[in-house]
Amino acid sequence: MNRNRPPSRRRAALALGLVLGLAAAGSALADDPGVYSASTFKTIDGRQVYTHICQGCHMPDGQGAVGAGHYPAFAGNPVLASAPYLASTVLNGRHDMPSFAERKAAPGSPSFNRMVSLTDAQVASVVNYIRSHFGNHYADKITTAEVTALRLQSQPAH
Amino acid sequence: MAVDEKGSMTRRQLLRMIGMTAGSAAMYQAMSSLGFAAESTFKRPIALRGAPKGASVLVLGAGIAGMVAAYELRAAGYKVQVLEYNGRSGGRNWSIRGGDTYTELGGFTQHCQFDRELYINPGPWRLPYHHYGILHYCKVLGVPLEAFVQVNYNAYLHSSKAFGGKPQRFRHVRADYNGHVSELLAKAVQSQKLDELVDKDDQEKLLASLRGWGALDKNYAYAKGTASSNRRGYEKDPGGGLSARPVPSDPMSLKDVLGSGLWAMLSAGENYEMQTTLFQPVGGMGRIGEAFGRELGPLIRYHAKVLDIRQDEHGVTATYEDTTRPGSRHSARADWCVNTIPLSILSQIPMNVGQPMAEAIAAVPYAAAVKVGLQFKRRFWEEDEHIFGGISYTDLPISNISYPSTGYHSPGKGVLLGAYIWGLDAMEFTAMPPAQRVRKAVEYGSQIHAQYPREFDNGVAVAWHRSPFTLGCFGLWSEQARARHYDDLCRIDGRIVLAGEHASYIPAWQEGAVTSALDAIGRLHRRALAQGAKA
Repeated sequence: MNRNRPPSRRRAALALGLVLGLAAAGSALADDPGVYSASTFKTIDGRQVYTHICQGCHMPDGQGAVGAGHYPAFAGNPVLASAPYLASTVLNGRHDMPSFAERKAAPGSPSFNRMVSLTDAQVASVVNYIRSHFGNHYADKITTAEVTALRLQSQPAH
Repeated sequence: MAVDEKGSMTRRQLLRMIGMTAGSAAMYQAMSSLGFAAESTFKRPIALRGAPKGASVLVLGAGIAGMVAAYELRAAGYKVQVLEYNGRSGGRNWSIRGGDTYTELGGFTQHCQFDRELYINPGPWRLPYHHYGILHYCKVLGVPLEAFVQVNYNAYLHSSKAFGGKPQRFRHVRADYNGHVSELLAKAVQSQKLDELVDKDDQEKLLASLRGWGALDKNYAYAKGTASSNRRGYEKDPGGGLSARPVPSDPMSLKDVLGSGLWAMLSAGENYEMQTTLFQPVGGMGRIGEAFGRELGPLIRYHAKVLDIRQDEHGVTATYEDTTRPGSRHSARADWCVNTIPLSILSQIPMNVGQPMAEAIAAVPYAAAVKVGLQFKRRFWEEDEHIFGGISYTDLPISNISYPSTGYHSPGKGVLLGAYIWGLDAMEFTAMPPAQRVRKAVEYGSQIHAQYPREFDNGVAVAWHRSPFTLGCFGLWSEQARARHYDDLCRIDGRIVLAGEHASYIPAWQEGAVTSALDAIGRLHRRALAQGAKA
């Protein structure tokens, strides 16, 4: 399991990731528009949602991170067995992670309070992306309709 | 930015917008409901007296809340110890200076290449005059202050979709917006359109006030001339001697002003928290945390990562790891505990409190925010553009550029805040490696200052969700969550009380941390007195 890699190998992988990350950023990849606007953001798929949002905390290699607290790793994480669990977490948020469920923005809310939301299709897509990357090989996929059903039956925590 | 997407307005919409008072009141209401713009509850220095003999308090976190609590409880006679995760005091009260190294989560390390004495404040960066609590501690600790410039009439307002992307001086937009609106309203008065709303007597006063407010000429017109140029500036400023004759400037048209959407950026400095006078500590916001750290000295144990918090009938025990010796286990115990660990982290630490507090701790997501500090080879914003302090606002993802409110006219390099980002843009910047965040800030900023590419030297970027000691910027309370959980978060649970900006109605501001700590230790002290000496 990746989490149990010896520290030296992990450090090496990290250093490599850094180098690659910087190189990729420098070459202005065709699929790197920089920063999405609120409307173009709605058109991106699960992989792009991961690389533009999720990896901020869960890291480019899906390893999560540990400081005074931690961000869970996706590699070798048994909770990923349940796609609905993962989708619910994205929809409802958990602890310091905000809810990403589709909702109407409260009128007049200040910019820092403007929640970022994903479409049901994006939630399904990013859940399927995570469950088929970072060493995960779950064959079952969650559908947009299933995400919609989850969203309608759950109240966002925040 | 709340710009009308159609970019045009009916006359009725415009008149509605003119209700500046109504507008600010509505904004104030929205801010207040979120806890912003609330007045500080700090009235006078706290003076707790007579701690029960031998009574002790364990403070978790050496940020502003924790250090205020430790400072005052020590003064009251408690035996105080503080556990802090970082190797420095201050928490989010922090300045990154030339020579500093910062490693964010994921292992991305930045070595700040700024010149010595140059810095950015990744967290709080301004102190409103009415944040009496934090200002009180600046005074007590001998932290010198200087003015923080919020509104600079010569800074820019910029929209990538207006004026061909050319930034406009704040004074131009301000004067032309006020001027045109005044003229319209004066015309409405003069053509009897407001007779039902304003009686004849008041109409004259209204006209006189509009002339003054909008810099209208004798015919109540906002037009090119001395009156308007005294607000927006001249084409050629008045001077002395033969070449001195001033040339007035041409106001922009009402259509251009409205269509630009830049009016939406005019009011930032009018919010209660941004009103003059604002302060900053000389040498960086981090000077406050550093001064507190010196004051408390050996009371603070650094590199202490709290793993578990347990209370029983007699006291509270925190188990922690000394992070300089990974895997080590230590414990600290006291009669009482003031816990200022951010909820983003506290929600992951086992702690035996009741269900209401536990649910409150789990109910608050943390806001994403990113700041980028950029060093340039010279202070071109002063030398070329006569911008001394203050903030330019833009609709680009960097959101604003803030010029240093200190060191004016210094030769050599200068550091400005090249981006202060919220929401979706902040999440996306967080997902980038630090060097890419800096490069993006330079790229976007070049649209406002053409000097950027040539003068750029180096930069530092802090994305708060990657901060190892907070995992986010600040507690983002929704109205519903606050109604349901806030009181439970603040109530003492057995021997534990929470404090910090997250336990305040002034989230994200240091004043929230100060007033929360004072409120918490006041209640804790009363409870300790009620229980007598060591329970």
